[in-house]
Parts: sequence; C-alpha cells; structure tokens
Amino acid sequence: MTEPVLQIPEGWEARAPEGWEWQTLWEAVEEGDHRYAHERVEQAIEANIDPRTILDDGLFPGFTLQGDRFSEQIIFIPEMLITARAMKTGLALIRPLLAAQAEKPVGTFVMGTVLGDMHDIGQSIVTIMLENAGFNVINLGTDVHPDRFIETARAEQADLVGFSALLSTTVYYQKVTIEEFVKAGHRGKVKILVGGAPTTQEWADECGADGWGRDAVQAVKLALALVKQPRETWA
Amino acid sequence: MPESGLVEVGFVAPDGGRAVRRVRIERGASLLDAAQAAGVGMDATCGARGRCRSCRCKILSGDVSPATMQDTLQLGHEEVQERFRLGCQTRPVTACEVMALPPKSEAGHQILTGAGPAGAAVMDGAGFTLDSGVKKHVVVSNIPREEHHQTSDLAEVLAAVDPPPDRRVPLAVMRKIPQELRKRRGALTVTTFNRQVIDVEAGDASEHAYGMAFDIGTTSIVGTLMHLETGEELAAVGSVNPQTVYGGDLMSRIAYAQFDEKKLVTLRAKVLNAVNGFIKEACANAGVSPGHVYKIVVVGNTCMHHVFLGVDVTYVGLAPYAPAVSDGIVVAAGELPLKAAPNAQVCLLPIVAGFVGADTMACVLATRIHESGALRALVDIGTNGEVVMGSKDRLMACSAPAGPALEGAQIRHGMRGAMGAIEDVRIDDDVHCGVIGQAPAAGICGSGLIDACAKMVGAGVMDASGRMRPRHRDRLPAAVGARLRTTGTGAEFVLVWDADAGKGEDVTLTQGDVRQLQLAKSAIYSGIVMLQRVMGIGDADLAELMLCGGFGNYINIESAVTIRLLPRLPRDRITYVGNAAHLGAQMALLSERERIRAEELVHRIEHVALATHPEFQDIFVDGMAFEGPRSDRPERAAGNARSAAG
Repeated sequence: MTEPVLQIPEGWEARAPEGWEWQTLWEAVEEGDHRYAHERVEQAIEANIDPRTILDDGLFPGFTLQGDRFSEQIIFIPEMLITARAMKTGLALIRPLLAAQAEKPVGTFVMGTVLGDMHDIGQSIVTIMLENAGFNVINLGTDVHPDRFIETARAEQADLVGFSALLSTTVYYQKVTIEEFVKAGHRGKVKILVGGAPTTQEWADECGADGWGRDAVQAVKLALALVKQPRETWA
Repeated sequence: MPESGLVEVGFVAPDGGRAVRRVRIERGASLLDAAQAAGVGMDATCGARGRCRSCRCKILSGDVSPATMQDTLQLGHEEVQERFRLGCQTRPVTACEVMALPPKSEAGHQILTGAGPAGAAVMDGAGFTLDSGVKKHVVVSNIPREEHHQTSDLAEVLAAVDPPPDRRVPLAVMRKIPQELRKRRGALTVTTFNRQVIDVEAGDASEHAYGMAFDIGTTSIVGTLMHLETGEELAAVGSVNPQTVYGGDLMSRIAYAQFDEKKLVTLRAKVLNAVNGFIKEACANAGVSPGHVYKIVVVGNTCMHHVFLGVDVTYVGLAPYAPAVSDGIVVAAGELPLKAAPNAQVCLLPIVAGFVGADTMACVLATRIHESGALRALVDIGTNGEVVMGSKDRLMACSAPAGPALEGAQIRHGMRGAMGAIEDVRIDDDVHCGVIGQAPAAGICGSGLIDACAKMVGAGVMDASGRMRPRHRDRLPAAVGARLRTTGTGAEFVLVWDADAGKGEDVTLTQGDVRQLQLAKSAIYSGIVMLQRVMGIGDADLAELMLCGGFGNYINIESAVTIRLLPRLPRDRITYVGNAAHLGAQMALLSERERIRAEELVHRIEHVALATHPEFQDIFVDGMAFEGPRSDRPERAAGNARSAAG
C-alpha cells in the first residue's frame, strides 16, 4: 500500500497573483476546516482569481488527496465528511461564478436515497465528488419515491441515475426503483448505479444495476466510465 | 453432477469430539442454513451478508463452493487456504463435514438479569405501592341445587365475589368451573385482574399469585418471576435472543421478516418458545405452578414488541419508521399463544416511536425522570440507542442508531461480552488487557473497544481524529510502538500477541474498527447533543446523566467521556442505573398505577427525529472526533503567510 501524496497543480503560480499561496487552503480542505476554507476562497474571489482556477488549484488538491486516502481506507467517513463539508463550503462560493462561465457538464446525474431511507451523508459525499468530476448533479435528497426518480430523469434527460440505500430494510427499494424504470420504458436511456453500506457487487447484479461503487471514489470512476457507454436517447 | 437435490452436511463439535450432527439440505443452501437446520449454534451477526466472522467454520472433508470475496476479506487468504470459510457464504457441493467454530462462547455471555442495586432503591422510593391488579378472592360459592328456579355455576360463583366482577368470563375459566366448584363443596379461590375473572380454583389458593416481567431485547431476553403480593423476586432467567441467528442487529432482523409473513412467523415462534421456556424454568426454579402466573409484563423495542405480537414489522424498517400499534396492550396469554402460563394476562407497555419503544417507556418509569424537578438525561447505549431528556415539565426522546459495533459486530476481532473478550485496556510502557473470565483473549467486546480507543488516544497511538499513525511509532515506548503496524489493508494495533491469544492469532484493533466505533459513538453523542440543542440545555444544566441497559454496566465511564461517547459532565453526574427497562417492567408488573401511568406518560414524550433535523449532520460529523472541534485555531491567524507544514 502506498500512501497518497498531495498533487501540487503544475504551474499554479502563473495563475495566481504575485505572492499568493494555496498551501493553507489545501490543508484546510484536507483537514476539513470549513470556516477557514470559506475565508480563503472569499479572499481568492476578492483577488480576482478565475473561479475555475480556484477550484482546480485551490480546492481540488486537498480534496483529491483525501479522496485517495479514503479509497485506500487510510482515512474513513468522518474525515472524508469534514473534508467534503469544507469542499462544499468553498464550492458554494464559486459555483455561481462557474455557472456564469457555462461549461458543458460531463453528464447529468440524478442522485438520491431510496424510498423509506433518510440517510443523507453517503449520497451527499458522492454528489460533491461527482460535481467535482464535472457532472451536473440533481440531488433529490432522501426518501425518494421511484416516480420522482423517473420524472426527474426524464425532465433532465439524465445520463446516469444513482440510488443510495443505507439500511438492510431499504436496499429492496433499489431493486423496486430499477423495476419501475423498466416498466416506464426508460431503463435503456440511463445507466444506473447503486451503493450504500449494505450493498455488494452481487446485489448490484441481482437488482439489475449497471454498476456498484464500494465507496464514493469508486462511484465517480464508474460514473465516468459508464457515461461514455452507448444509451438509448431521450425524446 | 446433479444441479438439484439434497446434500448431506455433518457438523463436528469444535472440541473435535465425535458428536456429529448430520443434516440434508437443498443443494445451493449455505452452511449457515445447514447449521440452522441441524440446530448447530452458528451466529449470523451481520445478517448473513459476509460482513463479520461470526459464522466462521472449517471444512474438514468434502467439496464446497469456491471462496468468495467476503471469505477472503473476513478471514484472510491463509485461512481460506486452510479451508476456513464463512458459513453464510459457503455452499456444499458434495457431502461434507464441517467444524462450526463459534468464536463467541455463549457460556459466560454477560446478561444483566436482575434490576441491580439501583432497582431496589427505586422500588423502595416513596409513592410505590403494590397494586398488581391481580386479586385472589377466597369465597364460598353456592352450588346450584334447585331444578325449578335454576341458576348456573357461573352465576353462583360471580355472585360470591365482592365487588362483583365483570360478567364476561374467558372460555377457559368456564370450562374449569363445574369441577372446581364441587371439589371443596363451593369453597373457591376466584382470581380477578382488574375485575375480570381469570382463574377459578377449588379451596384456598390465595397465597399463589405470581407474575413475570420480561425485557425482550434484540440481543438478549431477560425475565423475572415475582410474587405479586409481596413484590419478592423469586427467580431470574435470561439468555441470548434466539432470533439472533436471523441477524444480530435490529435492521437485519426486520429485513429478514420484511414482506414475508412466513419469516415473521418464524421469528415469532422463536421468541414465544423462548418466553414459554423461561416461564417454565423460572416457575420450576421457584417451585411454583405456571398456572399461578397471572400477569406478565413485556417490554421491548418496537420490532421485538411487534414480532412478539405477530404484527408486521415491514414498515417499522422504512421511513418514517412508524409503529403499527403504539398504545399499551393487554391480551390473554392464550391469544398469543403463551401456553406455559395459560391464565396470565399479558401486558405490553406503550411505544413512543418506531425506534423509541416500550423498553424506553419502561426506563422512563423506572428512573422517574418524569417526576424530576431538575433536568436529567437517560441514555440507553446499544445497537439502537435511545436518549430521553427533560424533567417533570417536558420530556423529549430520540433514537440514536449506533449500529452493532458496540456489540462487537463489524469489528475485525469483535465479539460480545463473553468469556475471552478484552474488556479493559491499560497502556504504559506496554499494553495490558483485562479479559473476561481471565481466559486467553479471543477478541474484544464493546466496552473493551471504548476503553482501548480512549487509552490509544491518551498514549498517542492515534490522534484525536481517530487516525493511527504507524509512521510516528518512534514517538511511542518501544513495546507499544512495535504493536502499531501497517498491513495490506491499512494500519492496525496489536492488543494481544498471538502467543497469549486464544485463537492463535494476534488480537488487533484495525483502523477500520476505530472508524466503526467513531460512527457508533457519534450517533449516541449526537442524540444527546441534539436533544440539548432542541431543549436549549447546556451541559451545566444537566443535573444527571443516567446510563441504563446492559451495556452501560460494563463501560468505563471515564473512557466513554474521553472518546466523546458521553458529554464532558463531572464524573459524579454520570450514574449507572441498571437494567432500567427490566426494572420498569417489574414496576408495571407490581403496580397497575405505574402501568397506567406509562399509558398517560407516552403522550407527554415528544419524539425528535434526528435524521430529518437540519443541524444533525453537522453535529454528527463533529461528534466523530475524539476531541471537540478546534475552531479559531491560533495558527490560522497567520493566514496567507503561513508556511508549509510537514
């Protein structure tokens, strides 16, 4: 097992004002100090740094480092969560600015926790990571009825849909929701990912999903691969 | 090779003895299924999902399905090579012999049966009167003699009792009357429960009025036999809940019975059999007749309560987790059926919410938090923990789903608090572990886990975020540092070296185990903090934090405070109040006033749903660290000028 290290963005100095440093923001995101992350991102915006640069050079390095550690099980949910929270804080400040630049998303991902399940944390980590990876994520929150998944996927012409379930009593609804996509005639138009503590690859196969992510990092890798695969078109 | 048909599995006792239990199972069924069919004790703590090692076994002969990913993850490559497998993952291909190795000896499993010293104190407290609702009336009844102006046996018996009982009499009593009435020429003992006749016996049987109080927990069932007239405890019984084979934690149990009536029937049969057995056992121990058990009070979480009644638990497992029934219930034993005590009235205490069950209601009764002038908190630490907070003015409750880590599940070397479990840890120049029963260490139980983490943080083995730092082992005493190592699956800390361990392998605490504990303890901690926030109560306002439940007895309170499982209150304000759920059941058994009080009180308890509360996620995340948040760090003041740190 190799310990992940901080990947310092190449040539960041050229994209920042004279005397600027990102180290403290990298650390703030890594350590999950969301108050400080907020402060630094605000300073960066005031300093007129390009929002995409703030994201890539300022926020990503600490987040990616933690994501890799999370995937290697060096750190676990608590630290990933506090890092995600710091990331989210920074992202919230620059998202409106990024939207103004109107970049084309990698794909549209409809995300939510299945009916009967109120667990939010896992899917919100996945959501942030998907957004970082360039997806347009529509997060429906928790306790989402299959019909809402279907309506949203249709309205947004989603490429991928993700169902989170954290209880052994609710994984059943991952299967139900997939069956509803089949019945509605939309199954071929989306790639479906499932995840959550009680799920396994076997379960993903059994319930008819296209993929299963052991953790958020795997989920994002899978999403990036699946979005390239052919699908029936909406409309 | 035929794809279908039966295959024979023989189970050899773990001591290598000759006793082999053979069973034929459908091809495709697992060794765990076979063990259950053969009546061989094999736990499936994780609900047969391959996520724990409780069903570990060794294949002695025959062919089985190839090792799965779960086998390798849980047991390691070497064990798999040596034909160790997880029973839940393994399917026999040909006839085979298997050694079931239950690593968790049920003998010596710590179960808190009696109410403990705290119980007696509450029972003796002011205002508690014996009033079980069961009355034995010794009467002499007329026997119908006139053919012309005929009466009936029943009418004569009812007329002899003062005050006159309810005229609706159970069929079972009607069937007994003709014989009993005439055995002693009309001399009878008529037993009533709240004016309903529940038994008729010839002669004077007034001394014999017994009752039982049961606390049916997800993990264990405990019961006591009590004399209803004197309040004396006559016998205590208890064991592991036999439903455990269908999943160790509550959600696995619900998932098992979800959408499947037959499986609900299976679970119900398990609990009814157990309770029937306990009634017989307790009565035999005390030398009384089970027919003289007239009142049985049952408390338990909502799932156990529903399963006991045979009510569908499907929707208890799905948000918003609403119970199917929540009011207090009185039902005749014959209706359940509870055959061992045919004359008993079975009383179930009311339920507050899906995850705040009748057991919590019983804890409220027992601790009298509803009469307290000062603000108090009541915390039941368990797989599905509960917190009740308040005073006589206002009471709030929430559930704090800690998960099974505190019972040793999903912990690499986790086990329940049984013989061979590490229960306390001390670290100085080296690591010293206290083991239940002074046996060689076989694993670690929840209380040991809490203690180990507290001491590891204290000794610098891991930091306040819960991260082990093998690269910093040089800073530790040599013997301690040698225990901190990195393996292919991450960091781990050796608590007991293989030479001193019972399993012939090192007993370790892995980084993943620490994370599981952090999730569990933060759930409890967040429950407490959340109720404090909602009620506007600071730590200083809490006069007392009462720990109840079996688990609370064993944890080191200082360690629980150190790791922020419990808030940092002065030590003398955290007390252990015993198995309060069981005590509350006993109180409701001995006093109808208390039982009825529960039915009123339940409406006064405000339920707070944590997951839907906007602040919850932040509180939960903050609660995972072993130290409080370090906001306003002084080193940040340097801001932009700060140099890179290593």
